[in-house]
Amino acid sequence: MQRILFFLFVFSGLALQMTAQQKPITGVATGAKDNQTFTSLEPDESGLDEDIIVGYGSQNKSYVTSSISKVDGEKLMNKPVPTIELALQGKSAGVFIEAVNGKSTAFSRVRIRGTSSIYATSQPLFIVDGIPVTVDALNLSGAAINPLASINFNDVESVEILKDAASSAIYGSRGANGVVIINTKKGFSGDTKINFSFKSGFSDPSHRREFMNADEYISYLREAAVNGDLQEDKAYGYSPGTISFWENYVETKLKNFSGWAAITDKNGNYLGSKVDTDWQDLAFRRGTIYSADLSAQGGNDKLRFYAGGSFNSQEGILVSNGIEKASGRLNIENKANKFTDVGFSLALSRTAINQVPSDNFYSNPLQLVALSPITPPRDEYGELYNRPVTAYYNSLLDVEYATVKITEYRSLVNGYLNFNLFNGMKWKNELGFDLYNLKENARYGEKTDAGTGVNGYGFANSGQNQNITGRSYLDYTNIFGNLDVSGILGTEYQYVTSETLYAEGQEFPVDALKTLASANNISGASSTLTKYNFLSYFSRVNLVYNAKYLLTLTCRVDGSSRFGINNQYGFFPAASIGWIVSKEDFFAGVPVINFLKVRSSYGVTGNADISDFGHMGLYDAGSYNGISGLIPGQIQNPDFKWETTKQFDAGIDFGLYGNKIYGEIDVYHKKSNGILLPVQIPATSGFSVQMQNTGSIQNKGFEILLTSNNLSGNITWNTSLNFSVNKNKVLDIGGQDIIDNGGIRYMNVVKKGYPIGVFYGAEYAGVDYYNGDALWYINERDANGNIVNPDETTNVFDDVNFVFLGNPNPDYIGAITNTFGYKGVEFEFTFQGVAGNKIHLIGDQWMASNGVWYDNQLKSQLKSWKNTGDVTMVPQARFAWDNGNQSRSSRYLSDGSYLKLRNVTLSYEFPQTLTNKINLSRLKIFFEGQNLLTFTQYEGWDPEVSADFLVNNIYSGCDFYSAPQPRSVVFGINISF
Amino acid sequence: MRKYIYLTILSVPLLLVTACDKLLELEPSQNVSENTALGSDENIKSVLIGAYSLFDDPGIYGGNLLRNAELLGGNGEILWTGTSDDPRQIFYKTISATNSDVLAQWVDSYEVINTCNNIVSALEVVKNDDRNRVEGEALFLRALIYFDLVRFFGMPYEAGIINNQPGVPIVLKPSRGIDKKSYVLRNSVEQVYIQVITDLKAAAAKLPEENGVFASRGSANALLARVYLQKGDYDNARKTANEVISSNKYTLLTDYADVFNQYYNTPEDIFATQIMPPESYNSMTIFFSIPEFGGNYGDIEILDSHLSLYPAGDRRKDLFFSGNGAMRCGKWNNLYGRVNLIRLAEMYLIRAESNIRLGAPYVGATPLDDYNTIHTRAGLTPASSVTLNDIILERRLELAFEGHRIHDIKRLKENVGTWTYNDTMLVFPIPARELEVNPMLKSQMTPD
Repeated sequence: MQRILFFLFVFSGLALQMTAQQKPITGVATGAKDNQTFTSLEPDESGLDEDIIVGYGSQNKSYVTSSISKVDGEKLMNKPVPTIELALQGKSAGVFIEAVNGKSTAFSRVRIRGTSSIYATSQPLFIVDGIPVTVDALNLSGAAINPLASINFNDVESVEILKDAASSAIYGSRGANGVVIINTKKGFSGDTKINFSFKSGFSDPSHRREFMNADEYISYLREAAVNGDLQEDKAYGYSPGTISFWENYVETKLKNFSGWAAITDKNGNYLGSKVDTDWQDLAFRRGTIYSADLSAQGGNDKLRFYAGGSFNSQEGILVSNGIEKASGRLNIENKANKFTDVGFSLALSRTAINQVPSDNFYSNPLQLVALSPITPPRDEYGELYNRPVTAYYNSLLDVEYATVKITEYRSLVNGYLNFNLFNGMKWKNELGFDLYNLKENARYGEKTDAGTGVNGYGFANSGQNQNITGRSYLDYTNIFGNLDVSGILGTEYQYVTSETLYAEGQEFPVDALKTLASANNISGASSTLTKYNFLSYFSRVNLVYNAKYLLTLTCRVDGSSRFGINNQYGFFPAASIGWIVSKEDFFAGVPVINFLKVRSSYGVTGNADISDFGHMGLYDAGSYNGISGLIPGQIQNPDFKWETTKQFDAGIDFGLYGNKIYGEIDVYHKKSNGILLPVQIPATSGFSVQMQNTGSIQNKGFEILLTSNNLSGNITWNTSLNFSVNKNKVLDIGGQDIIDNGGIRYMNVVKKGYPIGVFYGAEYAGVDYYNGDALWYINERDANGNIVNPDETTNVFDDVNFVFLGNPNPDYIGAITNTFGYKGVEFEFTFQGVAGNKIHLIGDQWMASNGVWYDNQLKSQLKSWKNTGDVTMVPQARFAWDNGNQSRSSRYLSDGSYLKLRNVTLSYEFPQTLTNKINLSRLKIFFEGQNLLTFTQYEGWDPEVSADFLVNNIYSGCDFYSAPQPRSVVFGINISF
Repeated sequence: MRKYIYLTILSVPLLLVTACDKLLELEPSQNVSENTALGSDENIKSVLIGAYSLFDDPGIYGGNLLRNAELLGGNGEILWTGTSDDPRQIFYKTISATNSDVLAQWVDSYEVINTCNNIVSALEVVKNDDRNRVEGEALFLRALIYFDLVRFFGMPYEAGIINNQPGVPIVLKPSRGIDKKSYVLRNSVEQVYIQVITDLKAAAAKLPEENGVFASRGSANALLARVYLQKGDYDNARKTANEVISSNKYTLLTDYADVFNQYYNTPEDIFATQIMPPESYNSMTIFFSIPEFGGNYGDIEILDSHLSLYPAGDRRKDLFFSGNGAMRCGKWNNLYGRVNLIRLAEMYLIRAESNIRLGAPYVGATPLDDYNTIHTRAGLTPASSVTLNDIILERRLELAFEGHRIHDIKRLKENVGTWTYNDTMLVFPIPARELEVNPMLKSQMTPD
């Protein structure tokens, strides 16, 4: 149903645009359809006359032959989200961005045209002003924090996303997953413009689930206990009602769980509880948001600058979670003399995070929902209750008695020195540093799980990444008659070291003593150091003939310390061609279409996110009789190298009615080979496993981007729509048929012929209406692999054959943005959605388990089977007897399609006449809303989820007590002068 | 002129193009690269220690290898009552190809072999004075591993013929990556014995007499004597055993009980696995002992049929004790005690048995003298005459539950319960995992 809604939105958007264009453009003479001068009166949404960054340079968009998507920095400003990826959601066709949960430090999965690896990263390469920034998370507590959180996106001028091989081949062995290029604002020649903005608002959880209340819990648990005892009777062959073990057990538990709130009769029998605690509510809170930005931009012909500072605070929707950022940036460009350009940029940021545990820890605040509603949070003295009164650890104890603070410092420093040598030949030299420091201090008091029994526990962790990149290249541009030639040729070197230092201690005299200096027992310490480098040579040639025939050739050679001796250097070539058909003479008379370009590209890129020393033979430390020794730990692999992706792309760019409607359509086919997999090797070698480049994955699909100026005049209305389909298939996993490490809990597997991470488990058939047993389809297969007796079911889980149940990655993603303007008021809203994916509700095996244990249950379990003849999907409640709560079954698989109202912006810009009176050039007030509405059939908290402790290429689409996205609103003001 | 200036400047980036490959050779910090590990005298000696640290793994010489020999040959004399499936399969001869203890013995053995191969390949870097010792120790360890591999995974050695039955793959080169050559075939039992003897002879020549707890000349010769005995080469057996005894480096303890459960080597020990917590433990204790001494609940019971073999007054019988409802062995009551692999008593027994089989002239001492040395140490009155069977029984009682049983049964062609000495069920299957990974081995399957 949601999928239909989703498609309706997408296609009605398309239809609206088409119908709105029946009127021809008025007011301008339109002889030839010349795309050099545009005829619409509104700013062109197509961007065809602008330059876009293409990696080591820029190019006029109409001459670009590869698939690149550009997002203006303005579209990202002021979004009430903590990281830049979330601001980019829905803005680019084929780019899937998903926050793994609603914590303020949540990592985002970014997939450009699908997942192309199994054990290496599928995240794209992130470049900020030419520096490939480090994206390692060095924290130990909680899940990996988002390393891009320290980048202030209000400084961003534009983001270019390179999607196909021709555009990303210039990044060679690291371009296989696409490249996201972030460019910060530069100065301009003219009066200094100063901009100040302030905004403030709040976030709430976007969805809550319905759990049983105290009365429901008591009666349901008792019902489950009675049925549990009936199962015991059956097992022992007694007459029903003989055993009352579980009933007595549950009564005792009910009394214990109620603490001081227990109501009993004069015989001590349990009657109920004085409280009805909403634990979910205690896990959530309303988080405040506020931020302030100040920037100055200006300069003259010789010197241009941009300076900006910002402070940003976002409290998370989970208690104790929050992130605070302070950052500053200075970009300076100077025309030193006729033939020298010099520039410098410096960005410093400090990010402070109150970290929460990862989803699978008892101390994850959202795991509070397992606690019983009959339990009061605090005892008679106001102290938080813990086990045995609470069913499980009371994670509020961590909130009250533990602090985990992470502070990140990041310096991005960039400098360049360019020489204009002679006609059109420039020599550019650039040097960049990404210095990243992380400090993590965790202190768990005596009452917390980590600190109990050892009189408090604490650790201190510090990590440091030094990333230095330098490049020197020639940049040539010239025109020879009808032929525009431009090219680059150069070399680049990058060197990264990463070190950590860690110490932990126990036995603190009191909780108030926070640092390890007070720990009586330093129980552990360690330090690590690793490094890698890349040495590369790159070149690119762009040819434009007659302004309509386009050719680009790229090639890059990468050598790295990560590659084995047999593959020390990789060669990554790409070629793309284009033809601006609309400029041809034969096209002159064609109506409606003013711009038409066809293009195609093919190239080779690589994924070098492989282990730093995977090609070497390595020895580890060991010892014998108290003497230390060295033992072989890793077998050499001289062939160890990057994973290779070959991609083909073909596209059409078109503009109709003078670019009032502009669109791009792309189809692509990506084949990734040499995927690193652990391969079993003969033990006679002294080793059992070696990582080898043997696997293969394929992605293919298409993307559509459509923008249109629907109305121009007093009321303006623009629409932008993007939609894409991606089909992923694992082709080869080194000769194996399936990689299944899910055990009894996780369903994601890697299976030849299926999408990566496909769910593999038992097919749930519902409930036996006769006796309330949970049933699954046996799905027995014959020798050819076909299912025989597809309707046969069983209540014995071990007899069930697993089948493929769904795909965690969506097949379809899309977004539509509408912008309305009227006399200074601007109203913009974006709907974004995905379809075709499923989500595994892993946590539901405890909270929707029809009363198998004393976890609080979702209200949905009240529909348990009770009497013969009941038709329901919830099996009979049976305490301590498994009845359908096995994790690897489609009972816990839910449709993950959704349509979200991602973003709403309503702003009013005061008229110039008014603002000029107070010497302001611009005064704007605005309202921004994020995640205001979600339409989905998903049963969990939020269909945008991938449990943070699990998430990788294989384990996506898992919900494990994962917090929903925040629904945020902010109000703000923007002043320029 | 300007053009030349420009061209010179232009050529600078081209110069950068000729950068060094050396730039891309970074060294790891949490591990040691192979080149570094085998690149200096100090490091190779560390690798030698590393070989020992792999060798003391409970899956092999930390104890399980000895346990398995006893379980294979123990039916009728002991009873396995533990809950672990893998040893139970070994006792009841229902060993599946996926048995993890069998796999561990295979994998752990080859890890030690690879380490020794690495050492042997890099000897030039070792200081002249130490080179022989280092090589000798590596060869000794390698030979010990191959000897036990072939005794467990190959059909028994038949004296007097060329044993062409499949043994185990002989790998003598360190692994530097995986290529076609890594997919090895099994060598014959004969070839493995030849390699073992070659290595031990070389080791004996290179090793010093005194080497602390590490392999020494005496250990190499003692193991060599054992190998000759297993082959039925009694002449060499008695000569080599004699060399060990007459070196006077080792002495029998007066009290039999003192030999066992010691943390450190005794004067009687010729070679033992050193155990140092927490990195290692004595896994014989786990299975032969009871929780009071660090063992499991009591996985192995000693039956009356074994206890009745001891004559009255035999101090060796005193070691057995009652624990958790059954009789227990008593030799393995220290979870962190060294695992004695070869001791002097075995040399006397080898010399005695070889001498009596070959007849006069005897080497070293008469079989009667050697027999009485062991017999009286056990508190019994000296015998006036001795037969081969007496010596064989004496050996069985003296070395009971020290990892010899199945190997003696096979060379003496005795039966284990209903299985004859050359039954395939008494041979470990090549692990299924190995057959799957290396199809070359499949073509030489042990009929199993």
